[in-house]
Amino acid sequence: MSTEQHAGTSLNAVLQAGQRAMTPRPSNMDWLTPVRERGAASVAEMPLPSRKDEAWRYTSVGFLEQAEYQPLVEGPFDAIQLSDIDDLLLPQSQGLRLVFVNGYLATAVSDLAHQQDGIQVRSLAGGLGDVSVDLRRHLDAIAEHRHVFAALNSALMSDGALIHVDRDIVSRAPIEILHISVGMEQPGISHPRHLIVLESGARAEITERYACLGDARYFNNALVEVALGADSELLHTRLQEESPQSQHLSDLQVRLAERSRYRLVMAALGGAWSRSDVRVSFDGEGAEAELDGLMLARDQQLNDIHLDVQHKSAHCTSRETFKGILDGKGRVVFDGRIVVAEDAQKTDAQLSNDNLMLSRSSEVDTKPQLEIYADDVKCSHGTTVGELDANMMFYLRSRGIPHARAKQMLCQGFAEEVMAHIDNEPLRAYANKLLTARLAQTTE
Amino acid sequence: MRLSIKNLRAEIEGKEILRGLDLDVGPGEVHAIMGPNGSGKSTLAHVLAGRDGYEVTAGEITLDDQDLIELAPEGRAGLGVFLAFQYPVELPGVNNTHFLKESLNAQRKARGEPELDSVAFLKLIREKMALVSMKPELLKRPVNAGFSGGEKKRNEILQMALFEPKLAILDETDSGLDIDALRTVSDGVNALRSPERSIILVTHYQRLLDYIEPDFVHVLAGGRIVRSGDKTLARELEQKGYGWLTGEDEAA
Repeated sequence: MSTEQHAGTSLNAVLQAGQRAMTPRPSNMDWLTPVRERGAASVAEMPLPSRKDEAWRYTSVGFLEQAEYQPLVEGPFDAIQLSDIDDLLLPQSQGLRLVFVNGYLATAVSDLAHQQDGIQVRSLAGGLGDVSVDLRRHLDAIAEHRHVFAALNSALMSDGALIHVDRDIVSRAPIEILHISVGMEQPGISHPRHLIVLESGARAEITERYACLGDARYFNNALVEVALGADSELLHTRLQEESPQSQHLSDLQVRLAERSRYRLVMAALGGAWSRSDVRVSFDGEGAEAELDGLMLARDQQLNDIHLDVQHKSAHCTSRETFKGILDGKGRVVFDGRIVVAEDAQKTDAQLSNDNLMLSRSSEVDTKPQLEIYADDVKCSHGTTVGELDANMMFYLRSRGIPHARAKQMLCQGFAEEVMAHIDNEPLRAYANKLLTARLAQTTE
Repeated sequence: MRLSIKNLRAEIEGKEILRGLDLDVGPGEVHAIMGPNGSGKSTLAHVLAGRDGYEVTAGEITLDDQDLIELAPEGRAGLGVFLAFQYPVELPGVNNTHFLKESLNAQRKARGEPELDSVAFLKLIREKMALVSMKPELLKRPVNAGFSGGEKKRNEILQMALFEPKLAILDETDSGLDIDALRTVSDGVNALRSPERSIILVTHYQRLLDYIEPDFVHVLAGGRIVRSGDKTLARELEQKGYGWLTGEDEAA
């Protein structure tokens, strides 16, 4: 009890410091005031997650006691030039790129050409012009505050991308949201907030990345809301490439209208502590979701994915394929929950979680859960945990490939089932290169 | 190139499989190692390639005076030792072209030769593929994954053609092949016979030797070579079976 008290105080301190840092607020953010107030009220009421909560049983937030996180204010980092971040940029990018530095839109390094009629791209802080009523009404209407960090995000959200795709509009090129964290003297906390709305029949591709310059210490507390209209389709790729010193929490909440299609590929490669909550709600019949994820947990890394897939409507399909690679004392937590409501007949849901352990001292806590209340459904789940295959290793080495490289190739092969789902070629190449580099650090 | 094996003893999980094996393979020679199941043929092939868990307890293996036993499998490959697997391993998610290029370049690097770039490699691999009549789409797939038995064996011989080893050990290459595939694979191997390349054919049956004619035939039984001869020995074995030789071994 006493530890909860202490930590609770520290989140309230984060809230208060954040609120102080935000005053005076620019008046073009006044429309957010009710959202912020709701968020602040929840922060005061909600307890800090503890190991007694089932959803946080293997994921301690004890790191909060180790540092005093300072609010990150829009500051000197707008001096960042393209040449500072060129290692992070995708080649041949044809679309919009919104770059956020320590949580704030940095127009100097963003690429705002390639605008397309029917696609409204704004930023929360108003840096890209007025935010339409269409967008405003969706903000905080999709997400639920399932934990105190989501509430904290609502109370303190600094900036973020707001994207609205009109009815039947097909985006010509991927839109990229790139977060870059730059180390400050004190570890900072940032609350990125994004909203993606596709009207009926629209189609878009959005890439969301969390990267860093150097080995910065910081805590990214992101919340992303996605609403897909009837018959719309979104390809969503998330690449978490945070610094090995950082904490990363992202709460992704998706609502699917009838016959919409949502494809998510996520690769969580960085962070000392990383947790992604993904909630998908099937609000209309005949919708489809394909969720693929890769988690890398090197020595001393914790990588947690919590899925909450709510099949509320009939004739919907979901595929969840998640893979973990662990090394040293790395830890992976996978909680894959699928709930099929009584009315959600003809649901087809298949969930799998496969893990590759490169060391005996790593740990996987995996829990696939199917809760089925309908009687005419096709659902399955499966989990595996294995080591590197000795036959495969010998085969590669007998061809002249050194031990460490053979190990990397097999890990990469294991990850490929997820990575191959990244349609955007330059992004896939970038993600694979990043994975190779991070795997190289595991093996020798 | 000369391979010399003297009084080789090797065990797996404490069980002795090779019990004092001697074998000499000279430059350009093709040696067939025959023998009943469980005689140690595959063990010999894996010991030569340096597989973990196959422990050499006595004897020596040298390749042109270089001690092989001390070397890791990748080190042996760099010296020009190649094992064509009886059961080629499937590598899910590892692209075949990438695997072939990475392997060739690792061997070139070990020999101090420049690595091939993608263009030079593709040119080379196309040339080699013709030799084993391999379907080009198999290059784009993960290594051996979903390949038929014949396609897997062709992929092994393709590697032999690509790596141009000094010593190739073919472990039961004929197993699981129909006559057409056996002919294609054998033609590939025959095309790769050269005065600079020695070949060890490990096989249970005479059948393969109708297509790839050996210079020497050895019978392995109880972990030792119990009889050596020329290709006529293989025919004799086909007629008489192995019993008369293994019986002889027991009597000795």
